[in-house]
Amino acid sequence: MATPKKRRRTPRQLARGVRRRARRAAGRLRRVFWRSLQLRVVTSTMVISVAVVAVLGVFLDQQITTSVLDARERAATSEAQADRNAVLGFLNQPDGETAKRSEPGETIQGDDSPLGQATTALANRAGSASRYSVIICNRKLPGACFGTTNIDERSITERMRTAVTKGEPGRNSPWYGELYYKGRDEPVRGLVIGTRLDTTGAPQIDSGYEIYHLVPLDKEEETLNAVRQMLVVVGVGLVLLLAAIAFLVTRQVVTPVRLTRQAAERLAAGRLDERLKVRGEDDLARLAASFNEMAANLALKIHQLEELSQVQRQFVSDVSHELRTPLTTVRMAADLLYEAREDFDPMAARSAELMQNQLERFESMLADLLEISRYDAGAATLDVDSVDVRDVVLRAVADSEALAERHSTRFDLRLPGEPCMAEMDSRRVERILRNLLFNAIEHGEGKDIVVSVGADRDAVAVAVRDHGVGLKPGEENMVFDRFWRADPSRARTIGGTGLGLAISREDAMLHGGWLQAWGAPGEGSQFRLSLPRVAGTALRGSPLPLVPPEVEMRRTWRGQMTPVLSPAAVDGGHDAGAVTGGGRGT
Amino acid sequence: MMRARKGRRPGIVGLLAAMVMATAACSVIPTGPGDVAVDDAGSGDPLDPPYARVIAMPPSPDWTPKEVVAGFQAAMASTGDSGHAVARQYLTASFLKKWDPSGEVMVYRQSALDGGESEEDTKETRVTLKGTVTGTIGQDGLYRPGDDELNEPFTLVKESAGWRIAGGHEGLMLSEADVRRAYRLVDLYFLDSKRRGLVIDQVQLPVNPVSTRAKTTVERLLEGPSSSLAGAAQTAFPPDIKLIDVTTENSRVVVNLSKGVTGSDNIAAMSAQLAGTLSELAGGSSVEVRVNGEPYYGDSALVVDAQAQLKFDPWMTPRGMQLFYMQGGALRQLDKDNVGQPVAGAAGDPAKAEGRIGLLARPAVSGHTLRQAAVLSDDRRSVSVAPLTPDGQWREWVTGNDLVTPNWDRYGSLWTVDRPGPQSSIVLRHYYDEEKQQVRPYRVAASDLDTVEVTALKVARDGVHVAVVVRNAMGEDEVKIGTVIGEGAASRIANLRTVVNAGDKQTIKDIAWKDGKSLYVLTGKSELLEASLTAGPKPLVSYPRMESITALDDVLLAGVKDDDGNRQVVYRNVPGWEPWVKDENGSTGFVPDGPSSPVFPLG
Repeated sequence: MATPKKRRRTPRQLARGVRRRARRAAGRLRRVFWRSLQLRVVTSTMVISVAVVAVLGVFLDQQITTSVLDARERAATSEAQADRNAVLGFLNQPDGETAKRSEPGETIQGDDSPLGQATTALANRAGSASRYSVIICNRKLPGACFGTTNIDERSITERMRTAVTKGEPGRNSPWYGELYYKGRDEPVRGLVIGTRLDTTGAPQIDSGYEIYHLVPLDKEEETLNAVRQMLVVVGVGLVLLLAAIAFLVTRQVVTPVRLTRQAAERLAAGRLDERLKVRGEDDLARLAASFNEMAANLALKIHQLEELSQVQRQFVSDVSHELRTPLTTVRMAADLLYEAREDFDPMAARSAELMQNQLERFESMLADLLEISRYDAGAATLDVDSVDVRDVVLRAVADSEALAERHSTRFDLRLPGEPCMAEMDSRRVERILRNLLFNAIEHGEGKDIVVSVGADRDAVAVAVRDHGVGLKPGEENMVFDRFWRADPSRARTIGGTGLGLAISREDAMLHGGWLQAWGAPGEGSQFRLSLPRVAGTALRGSPLPLVPPEVEMRRTWRGQMTPVLSPAAVDGGHDAGAVTGGGRGT
Repeated sequence: MMRARKGRRPGIVGLLAAMVMATAACSVIPTGPGDVAVDDAGSGDPLDPPYARVIAMPPSPDWTPKEVVAGFQAAMASTGDSGHAVARQYLTASFLKKWDPSGEVMVYRQSALDGGESEEDTKETRVTLKGTVTGTIGQDGLYRPGDDELNEPFTLVKESAGWRIAGGHEGLMLSEADVRRAYRLVDLYFLDSKRRGLVIDQVQLPVNPVSTRAKTTVERLLEGPSSSLAGAAQTAFPPDIKLIDVTTENSRVVVNLSKGVTGSDNIAAMSAQLAGTLSELAGGSSVEVRVNGEPYYGDSALVVDAQAQLKFDPWMTPRGMQLFYMQGGALRQLDKDNVGQPVAGAAGDPAKAEGRIGLLARPAVSGHTLRQAAVLSDDRRSVSVAPLTPDGQWREWVTGNDLVTPNWDRYGSLWTVDRPGPQSSIVLRHYYDEEKQQVRPYRVAASDLDTVEVTALKVARDGVHVAVVVRNAMGEDEVKIGTVIGEGAASRIANLRTVVNAGDKQTIKDIAWKDGKSLYVLTGKSELLEASLTAGPKPLVSYPRMESITALDDVLLAGVKDDDGNRQVVYRNVPGWEPWVKDENGSTGFVPDGPSSPVFPLG
């Protein structure tokens, strides 16, 4: 209900809003329900106990009602029987004797009709109308209709009368119905016992006397209502009590489980010294003890593995360092040999050249190993500066120009017109780009390499696209593994160390950026580097698509939509398309 | 092993026994005293005692003319039939216009229902109701007994739906049995003219199934006294007061009025009226008066004691009243052992009689704290009064031509009647002025009595009702009951109505008020009757040769002379009469010059 000041909304919108809100609340509730074992146990306990209590309550209510009404009906029937005999006695006596029957102290005199006297006697016997009232009627005779106290003759319905007049004399026909009293507006629920007077033993009496006993059941109704209310109160109390019990009991179980879960979460987050308190000897205590044992073992294993890894890294680092000194000596000697190769016989000269080449490769490999061991040791630092990405790209392309010429490959640069400034370590980014370009040249099979730069408000990106063999599905992550190669039989032509892409990825991650690969068999591959404009901020998306637009368009045309979606939606490099392709790795 | 088993068995048995006992202790019906007071359903609501009533039934097409008349009689007696709608169905359209059930009700005793013989093709017939008219009930509920022959013809015509009554009595007719069923005789308590005493007004109240008996009674009380007390009685309730309801609450009757009365005198009077009127129904429980459901005084309740009417008016049931009688020319007073002692002063000393008091004089004793005795001289020409104090002397108050036995009323005035000539009477009322030490005589206006011979006049203890014995020119005695209105010079006697007609040259020897409602009448043949305004005279067991009577509620005493002229005072007991006054030896025999003329104060 929007106030007039607020924006007017159509009812349909309102309904939709309400529906949405309800759906959301239901979802939240469902989530809470399915996440909390305690809530589930309490709820199911309540549902079951409500059902049980309801069934029991209805049963009890019916039993009590039946027994109360039965007792009243029996009492009323016996009273009706006694009254009937009294009436018969009054009607049966000769007229002259009526005066004798009058009770002492009462002024019943002979001039009253026997029926009138009978009714007076019944009225005195019945007492006030709250016990029961009597109506005696013989519709065949004039002036033979009497009632006691303030009962209204409307209480006898035509159906009751028919049942009584058509029925056998002396047979009780009980009816439950509404009793009307003069001076009371509201009818009272009550029991009517109607009988036709049995005059078989006294043929001089007319057989048309109907006697109705009208028993008000308002007291019984009150009692039964009180009982019903009590049953409801007790039932609700019982259900609540059961729910509370279920809550308490499950809490005893769930609390340790919850503590264990929290401890496991903390353990998973790396806090290996997390332990549970062990109290008692029950199953939960044993669970805690086992958990603690597991955590201790895990911590021990992890520690051992860490130590082992540390040793290994240290070993690699040490080996690399240790190798440099002899390598320097070997290098100097090889340089001498290489300088003097003109003087050697061709075989020796060729050997000197080969040695020189492999030594260079060995050196760069050692450098890469040292670099990557710095990353492993966490010693890599960024030297951040605000630079134009286009300049970095151009420098990297210029460095790769010579190699490209050798592979007769051309670069197709697609740079934006305005500067793309970003905070980065330009040396590392240049190295990444150089690696990507070398990699593209090596696998590009001489076809053009497209280098595109994109920028938006938060990020800059550089994509390097080749049209070589591409990548097989699953390989787009493996390409960043150390010493990985797609086709181990293929020789390294450019002389990459096998660590280039791994280092590049570490570099990109150091910037808080992404380095991702896409490739498809026969379609070539594309590597995309995305970096945040401001160092240290998290990347939300990339200005360039990971999958080249033309490939995407072609797929759309074929109507083969793949799960590969727009690059803005992808993250972390786990989303690349399928790639086939030859050897990879730099 | 065996030992262990043997040891366990008693344990199991014990456990079982404990369980059985625990189950037994949890039985459904507890033992011991119950803590819930269950009201006795049989006794019902005391404010609305059970009764039987006629249910009106419309005429049946196949009824004979007689049956139609009988049905009409029953339909008239139906109390639950509002507006007598069913009874009207018995009437033809033309007779319906004349028939008026709201007027005076004729009460009859039926002896026969004659006529009504009709052939197949007759269109009109006549049924005659024969019997006695035993009274009428006025619109204000006043029942007037009567004794006339009833011969009421009903004309019936045959209509398409059967026989219908086309002519007959144009008002309500009820048989005596119907009246007993449809009416209740209730005592309404009103105030006397000084608003210090209570007067009982007996009226017939129709039983109203829509209301309770207590409610109808109090409603009738608020309407004011009936015509028999017109002008003589007052009420504490203002005319615009309405009754909301009468209920019982915590065994206390709660009367809920629309407004209250102000002034402590008025509240006391109202309380006494309510307590008296409800005393028969409330059965000893107290009465609380509320105004619009709120406590009477706002913060505190007005609870009226069940006996408030007796406290308000001590003359309702006077206690500690001693009997006076004459013996040996002296006024004597009976002590607790029924031994008489002469009263103090001149009245108790025959030597000081100065001829004013005869041996068989009929004294009257006043109701004051200062008792006074009045006595008519033997020549019936003067009435003398002497205080019953040691120095009390006779003093002549009234002189006249032919006076009747004097009588005191509760206000201290002395009543007598002078008969200056045959068939003429002057009612006199005398006050004693304490300050001026003189007697002030007033003539009481009583137009109905001016031209008749009044042989006795007694004012009841309520100070309002008055009974007179009148002898007409034929020498027939009648007892009439009327009311005293006003005081002093404005006093008059009105509303006179004959209650006993002796007839047959029978004389009325003496009358004595039982209470404010009924009167004992002693005839010349020593017959005793109980008469009242609302019922015909009722004969009582009498004693031969009674000379005078006096009564106080249920106590009735008479002065008797036996065949030998010996006298004694007799007391009416349950099986019969017994001699009452003892002499010094404790003997209650009849003696010459024995006790005579017993009298109670105001008797």
